[in-house]
Amino acid sequence: MDGYLQSLLGILLSAILTENFILVKFYGICPFMGVSKKIDTALGMGMAVTFVMALASAACWAVDALVLQPLGLGYMQTVAFILVIASIVQVVEMFLKKSVPALYKALGIFLPLITTNCAVLGVALVNVQKQYDFLRSVINGAAGGLGFTLAIVLFASVRERVDKADCPESFRGYPITLIAAGLLAMAFMGFSGLKIG
Amino acid sequence: MRKQNTALYILKLALTLLVITAAVAAALAGVNALTAPRIAAITEQKTKAAIEKVLPGGGEMLENYTDETGLVTAVYASESGYAVQVAPSGFDGEILMMVGVDKDGNVLGIDIISHTETAGLGAVAAADSAKGEAFRSQFVGLGDGLAVEKDGGQIDSLTSATITSRAVVTGVNAAVECVKNLG
Amino acid sequence: MNFKKQLHEGLLTKNPVLAQLLGLCSVLAITTSLFNGLGMGLSVTIILICSNVLISALRKVIPSQIRIAAYIVIIAGFVTVVDLMLQAFLPELAESLGVFIPLIVVNCIVLGRAEAFASKNGVLASAVDGLCQGIGYTVALVIMCVIRELLGAGTFGGGLLNGGEGIRIIPEGYPAMQMVMPVGGFLTLGFVIAGFQYLTTRMRDKKMEEAK
Repeated sequence: MDGYLQSLLGILLSAILTENFILVKFYGICPFMGVSKKIDTALGMGMAVTFVMALASAACWAVDALVLQPLGLGYMQTVAFILVIASIVQVVEMFLKKSVPALYKALGIFLPLITTNCAVLGVALVNVQKQYDFLRSVINGAAGGLGFTLAIVLFASVRERVDKADCPESFRGYPITLIAAGLLAMAFMGFSGLKIG
Repeated sequence: MRKQNTALYILKLALTLLVITAAVAAALAGVNALTAPRIAAITEQKTKAAIEKVLPGGGEMLENYTDETGLVTAVYASESGYAVQVAPSGFDGEILMMVGVDKDGNVLGIDIISHTETAGLGAVAAADSAKGEAFRSQFVGLGDGLAVEKDGGQIDSLTSATITSRAVVTGVNAAVECVKNLG
Repeated sequence: MNFKKQLHEGLLTKNPVLAQLLGLCSVLAITTSLFNGLGMGLSVTIILICSNVLISALRKVIPSQIRIAAYIVIIAGFVTVVDLMLQAFLPELAESLGVFIPLIVVNCIVLGRAEAFASKNGVLASAVDGLCQGIGYTVALVIMCVIRELLGAGTFGGGLLNGGEGIRIIPEGYPAMQMVMPVGGFLTLGFVIAGFQYLTTRMRDKKMEEAK
């Protein structure tokens, strides 16, 4: 397989498994905890985040490569990227409201909160830090989103059962959720031996 | 009439946001002007120190070199050999290291410039401790095709840090390959 | 503005991490050494105070429709300032915290306080609020760091004490290295919040008893 294609596959697999964005790198925790109670909502959220992440990776890469770097404005990365992301989320919101109102309603407040999802800004920053080219950046963004989706869907199925079970009072709510997430993270640790490329 | 008002209002909102952004940008330009020289100096110093550690006497940056691994980020040459900067992927991000290689393709020494490996585990590879030194000195005098003992090689990995150790080995291999390609 | 009350809230009843459950990404990711915890806590506190003060000062001027975008830009500005300062004057900390420094922009605590407090209160009260919430955040971080570092690497004060090595408390080879890995982060936070919830429930019950 061509070396470049191989590296793309490597990025795809590592973002989903060995360096899963939520369970290994800790991006996207807030929505992870809040949304994942029902599997179909979790799936919808995951898809929305994946779409935003891929788009944001592309847009931020372009802004950095075409505007910030040539003008020597590297230090404006954080400000510029977050503005780009906020705009993308706003556009996606308006689009969903018109075209898929059911999903728009189901996601509720979590849709605008995608702006503050560490995973979106995180992947955009990591792309330029690792000096990825355009295609690698987009793949990394999309793959990170897919990893995020995988984690929250898995987690939703776990939570559906945990919420029905008996639990000591101090542990109700976030604590037992976090412990469940920890066990899931431990399961993903098994992927770290996966040799890619 | 109402349409005009709304359009005007949106324009007013956009302008306010633009003014705030411009003010922030101006303030940041100021801070950047103050800190940029210092940050650049720190980076340069780090690279120089790393080259010095693996190739005493330093070296000159080489413009042309072949690298099939994609891990080599810079090569410096001197009469005694080369200092190759590589960036293999560790457990938690890239490990930036400098590998000194003599003209016969044997390792002179390695130095880890920066990394984000786990404190106390993979981070030992870069530490100034006895363990760190012991790990890094294993590479001195060896050629290419290195591997950790788990993969049938001769390098002892760090305790509970096989992935970090493997990454360092990959980096060293890439550096030696690069020097060999220079002929 | 009641300093004592705000401090009590910041540390306990409205602790941003343990009670409000905000800013968890950073809490889980960087709490592997005391150096990281204190450094991040201090950075976030400074940003909280600065952004709260500026947003409070401008609260009557920023139109409501664009306020979130405006807050984000202002916060991003302060985050970048702190980022550049750390890179220039504390490069080891900048390297250790990595991408989580610019990620302070999307730390729900900072935006949350701007919206919930600074946009509705005076400058001095907002500054104090930033300080108290920042202290609460730092305390939570330090608790996490100490536990994870002790059980995971066996040391205390990593990055700061004993020339960066930290004081070894548990002999090498014994600590459970999973503690400094992701699974340890989740488990530790789960138990710490459970402990905190237990504590606050006890305190609340005691108060109700005394009121009778």
